[in-house]
Amino acid sequence: MAEEIKKKRLTDIGPHDYNDYLSPMIKKNYGKWAFHEILDPGTMVHVAENGDKLYTVRMGSPRLVSGSFVRDICDIADKYCGGHLRFTTRNNVEFLIEDEKNVEPLKKDLEKMGYNVGGIGNIIANIVHTQGWIHCHTSASDASGVVKSVMDELYEYFVEDKLPSKTRIAFACCLNMCGSVSSSDIAIVGTHRKPPRIDAERLRNLCEIPSTIAACPTNSIRPDTVDGKPGVKVNEETCVFCGSCYTVCPAMPIANAENDGLSIWVGGKVSNARTKPTFSKLAIPFIPNDPPRWPGVVDAIKTILNAYKEGAEPGERVGEWIERIGWSRFFKITGFPFTKYHIDDFRLAETTMNYSSHTRL
Amino acid sequence: MTDETKKKVEDKIVGLVKEYAGKKRFKPIDIVKEMEKEFASEGLTKDDIKAALKEIMDEEKLVYGYAGGSFLALPENQ
Amino acid sequence: MGKKHQTPLLDELKKGKWISFVREIERAAEKSERTEDLLGQVEESYRDKVNHWKHGGMAGVKSYGAGMVGRFSEFPDKYPGIKECHSMRIIPSAGFFYNSDFLRKLADISEKYAGGLLNFHGATGNIQVLGMSQAEAEDVFQAVAELGFDLGGSGSDLRTPSCCAGQARCEFANYDTMKICHDLTEEYLDELHRPAFNYKFKLKFSGCANDCVASAARSDLAFIGTWKDKIKINQDEVKNYVKKLNVQKYVLDKCPTKCMWFEGEKLVIDDENCVKCMHCINVLPKALRSGDEKGASILIGAKAPLVTGPRMGMMLVPFYDINEDAKNDYEWLKGLISNMWEFWDEYGVSRERIGELIGRVGLNTFLEGIGLEPIPEMVGHPRSNPFIKFTEDED
Repeated sequence: MAEEIKKKRLTDIGPHDYNDYLSPMIKKNYGKWAFHEILDPGTMVHVAENGDKLYTVRMGSPRLVSGSFVRDICDIADKYCGGHLRFTTRNNVEFLIEDEKNVEPLKKDLEKMGYNVGGIGNIIANIVHTQGWIHCHTSASDASGVVKSVMDELYEYFVEDKLPSKTRIAFACCLNMCGSVSSSDIAIVGTHRKPPRIDAERLRNLCEIPSTIAACPTNSIRPDTVDGKPGVKVNEETCVFCGSCYTVCPAMPIANAENDGLSIWVGGKVSNARTKPTFSKLAIPFIPNDPPRWPGVVDAIKTILNAYKEGAEPGERVGEWIERIGWSRFFKITGFPFTKYHIDDFRLAETTMNYSSHTRL
Repeated sequence: MTDETKKKVEDKIVGLVKEYAGKKRFKPIDIVKEMEKEFASEGLTKDDIKAALKEIMDEEKLVYGYAGGSFLALPENQ
Repeated sequence: MGKKHQTPLLDELKKGKWISFVREIERAAEKSERTEDLLGQVEESYRDKVNHWKHGGMAGVKSYGAGMVGRFSEFPDKYPGIKECHSMRIIPSAGFFYNSDFLRKLADISEKYAGGLLNFHGATGNIQVLGMSQAEAEDVFQAVAELGFDLGGSGSDLRTPSCCAGQARCEFANYDTMKICHDLTEEYLDELHRPAFNYKFKLKFSGCANDCVASAARSDLAFIGTWKDKIKINQDEVKNYVKKLNVQKYVLDKCPTKCMWFEGEKLVIDDENCVKCMHCINVLPKALRSGDEKGASILIGAKAPLVTGPRMGMMLVPFYDINEDAKNDYEWLKGLISNMWEFWDEYGVSRERIGELIGRVGLNTFLEGIGLEPIPEMVGHPRSNPFIKFTEDED
């Protein structure tokens, strides 16, 4: 097969057959699992209908990993799991262990190597995030550095079960929001605050004017004549600094060192359990970029988390807690100022007002 | 679709991209729609046009570019 | 190439308990020298508070219109190692299951032909190999292809479908998420590799309403496992839970439709009023299991903010009988998807996701276009305004 691919330069090979990577116990019990139990924040066990037990040890990863990291986890998988492992949607590594007596030694080995075991149960899950300054041209902030700073500070909540419910934090370095950022318990979003700068000459060579105009969600880009040649202008009064035009037209850069930063959003979820999936809502419109440790962002997340931990009932997600106590109290408890930016003025703005006399005084 | 028709479609697509280079970005979806109309009388389907487009790419007469959305472009050495 | 750079700001991020990405980049640089220059440039970003990547420039693999993301340094002379720093997207194994043999080989490839850095996984679910030049892309492609792996989606195409671990390791899974994810990826390889849509289109498969792949928040078509018949109750296990947990408060009172109650010690469920939210099953996994008539709800239109705002997936098909349709090679589903794509091709505009199109033309127009009847499950509630556009085809 390998030779054939090379000789003919086969394309459209397709997805690899996942059956090649399933462990014997998983193959045997595929579709026949009975229940699972969380043993501690790093370990769970899935029990099959026939009594077979599959142990999973979860370990955090920074998503961006080296070949050496990959070899480390392969060594562990070979030593304890017959070479079998998987990743989670939130970039964790999961070791799939068929022999119970391998669980503790595996965890000890990981801890010895400096890896983080945890992330199951009522914990802070690994923060899903984007590429940031490491690999993205539209980013308003770095991603990995903010995530590292937050996770260092909240580390205890990854390894110990002491929150009312699972808490999912997500990070996106611009409004493109790669990943499910906009419906997380706490979302951190890279935010621009100045309109794009137009390089008229480059624009003529690099950009298509109609698609640049069409890229704007607020119709703020109009055709214009610059030095007798076709170009565009931006209505700065209505521009919302989303960066969509820059995605389409490289001659409209929007990144701005002094004015870029991060906004904080709360109360979203994707699970349908109890309440319907919902988007996160604005808590803090802007915190300046402050590398390498972003203390303002870390403090804000800690404030939200402490208030949640204090106020929520067992099992309540951040959004369910806020719905119960009301947004006015959320702002009061956290001390975050409520500003004009918190009142929606985009497409569905009208649906977000309080059409009632219900108010907590 | 005969090889002859296929060649005609391919020449037409490559010709369009060359003619409008630097002025218009042809999105594959628009090219497929346009060619469907252009060659309607010869009974070509969307899949025929897509097959012709695939051959253009396999022979590297054109490449795919990306700026917010995908478009057809001349290879950089042209 | 391979010059060491001073990185005092990044060095700060090597401290602390959480695994350090800076350390990972350094480890990659030990194997692939060019990656030293990545550290240098990122340090500058940390100092300048702005990214230093150029926008524009092409990267690709012959006969593919997707799977590569082009990235060029703003300072190619200063950082020649990342002058070209493209990444390649690779379709993952469904459910993200791997073995050490494949992963080691991939690590070798990433160090031999690229920057020795990988993402497990990108936001959509691709494996990503980072830091290669256009000239090296073919080598990476060939090497990956020899391992039986293929390029993923990018641009205006079908993005790489993804799914949860499903029946491989979860009792909650109501259908075989990995199989359908794999089968449909195989079916739509051309749509995945050769962008021909108005914009991206994402397919995600979750085995239950917990939606571990966030399908309803980010995929144009989300499949969320559900069941039609009764929740199976093990009354002995219910009793065991009652001994250690306030089941009334934390399970029954939290039920969104209050469809369950105790009659004496016996738990009773009014299944007709159950909305399959999973809460009770999540909390009492030993006592409760989903029914036998399993399938999936299909939700449509979710997307991130750009261009016209974020959207959550909305109910399109309350119960899709996957198991039955799988016997016919997903004939019904493929018909539905084909109708949708045709409608989107015809009426959508460039960079318009299908959810935005539905928002623009209205759900009725869309339903008519794809041949589905309006049903009450599709709405939160019927209209409350009287501006009805009566049409002549009604009596």
